Amino acid sequence: MILGDLLGVDVYNDDGTRLGRVADARFVVDGAPRQLLAEARLLGLVVSPHSASSFLGYERTGLQQPWPLPSLLRWRHRGSFLVLWEDIAMIGAKSVRLREGYTAYSPALDSSGP
Amino acid sequence: MKRLLGVALGVLTAIGGFVDIGDLVTNAVVGSRFGLSLVWVVGVGVLGICLFANMSGRVAAASGRATFEVIRERLGPRAGLANLSASFLINLMTVTAEIGGVALALQLASSVHYLLWIPVAALAVWLVVWRVKFSSMENVTGLLGLTLIVFAVALFLLQPDWGNLAGQALAPAVPAEETVSTYWYYAIALFGAAMTPYEVFFFSSGAVEEGWSIKDLVQSRINVLVGFPLGGLLSVAIAGCAAVVLLPAGIAVTSLSQVILPVAEGAGKVGLAFVLVGVVAATFGAALETTLSSGYTLAQFFGWSWGKFRRPAQAARFHLAMIICLFIGLAVLATGVDPVLVTEYSVVFSAIALPLTYLPILIVANDPQYMGQHVNGRPVNVLAMVYLVIILAASLAAIPLMVVTGAGA
Repeated sequence: MILGDLLGVDVYNDDGTRLGRVADARFVVDGAPRQLLAEARLLGLVVSPHSASSFLGYERTGLQQPWPLPSLLRWRHRGSFLVLWEDIAMIGAKSVRLREGYTAYSPALDSSGP
Repeated sequence: MKRLLGVALGVLTAIGGFVDIGDLVTNAVVGSRFGLSLVWVVGVGVLGICLFANMSGRVAAASGRATFEVIRERLGPRAGLANLSASFLINLMTVTAEIGGVALALQLASSVHYLLWIPVAALAVWLVVWRVKFSSMENVTGLLGLTLIVFAVALFLLQPDWGNLAGQALAPAVPAEETVSTYWYYAIALFGAAMTPYEVFFFSSGAVEEGWSIKDLVQSRINVLVGFPLGGLLSVAIAGCAAVVLLPAGIAVTSLSQVILPVAEGAGKVGLAFVLVGVVAATFGAALETTLSSGYTLAQFFGWSWGKFRRPAQAARFHLAMIICLFIGLAVLATGVDPVLVTEYSVVFSAIALPLTYLPILIVANDPQYMGQHVNGRPVNVLAMVYLVIILAASLAAIPLMVVTGAGA
């Protein structure tokens, strides 16, 4: 499968409750060294309960400018979380299911994340 | 002294490069139908393009990324592609209009039919894009474009009733024979002509071409903040000439010959010679910029190597894309469609597509990860948000107004 197919897919927890949709995939660049960058590794998926549209990057930082855009986008994506690859039980064509007792991390790129 | 010359050259090029076929046609049409009652839109548009060019130039200098590289990074591939498609198609429309404009101007100078000039114009555009250095290309067309100042000279020589003109400009009202919706339709067209997206693609890619760094920002700010408003005054002079000569005669501009008619009346044969040089230089310069912009947008989105600072063999897809765009423009013009009509549509569609490029630049200009300490200050952000609302309103209102007014008929 290609990553693009995964975006927008519904996400369920282990007892079948719908949690939201895949809004983004989070990578870390810590694989084998290459010429320019190390290989990327899929860290996990960002799940958003209300909208799978773009965050325009505002989930990663605490940026407040230019008012009121960040507040609007954060409101549209309220309740979104990052779930690690290890916590994903199954990826199907139309749904993603999480393991029991998965951890919902903040999608921010500061000390509150994984 | 050398630095001063550099600043002067930059400002002069910005003035001469401001006016293109869109400004020429739209300002003349508006002047001939609405007098100076829409002149405030030129002011709104010029302030907007100053703001937008200042932000995208700063993003390019601070992050080393041009507009479409930023759009691809920030919007992701899917939303980015939709954005690219719209921006690219409108840019292609502008390429077509500019080449048609060069051909029409050459027809006026030579009495040879414009359809015969079109292949010549396209070939010349390609040769310059292929061979000529970026800075010489900018400076020559920009400086020759300055001859359009003859519109201002002609306006003085026509000895208009200044009080009447000032009255139209300062207390705008819809003329009796026009409707409110056509007034607003042309307001959007004029706004789109002043704030054409290609200017920003070109401006930010040009900053990368010329290897700007943070310390060149002062120079670029002067170029924009002095050059564009003075270029805007040229636009007003074009509208003023039309308002003085064509409006009382009841001539609504539909061709390029009518655009320059007031100059011939006010400044005679010498004026006519100047204005022909100016129109050819302005449209040819803009044809170069739009052709390059089509290559820039595609190459930046798909990650091809791009730029005139590379040899064509090292940026093969970039150059091939521009050649294909020129052929598409040629094919469209070969159908005999009126370039003036293409221009009138292209400025409105420019206004429609503007939010697509404006919003990502505004967001990135606020992101310290790209910009370091050169993020937007608070006053710039307040102005930028006001303009976001204006740009969105113009974009959303354009299509309904186009339908209601029958494209301004």
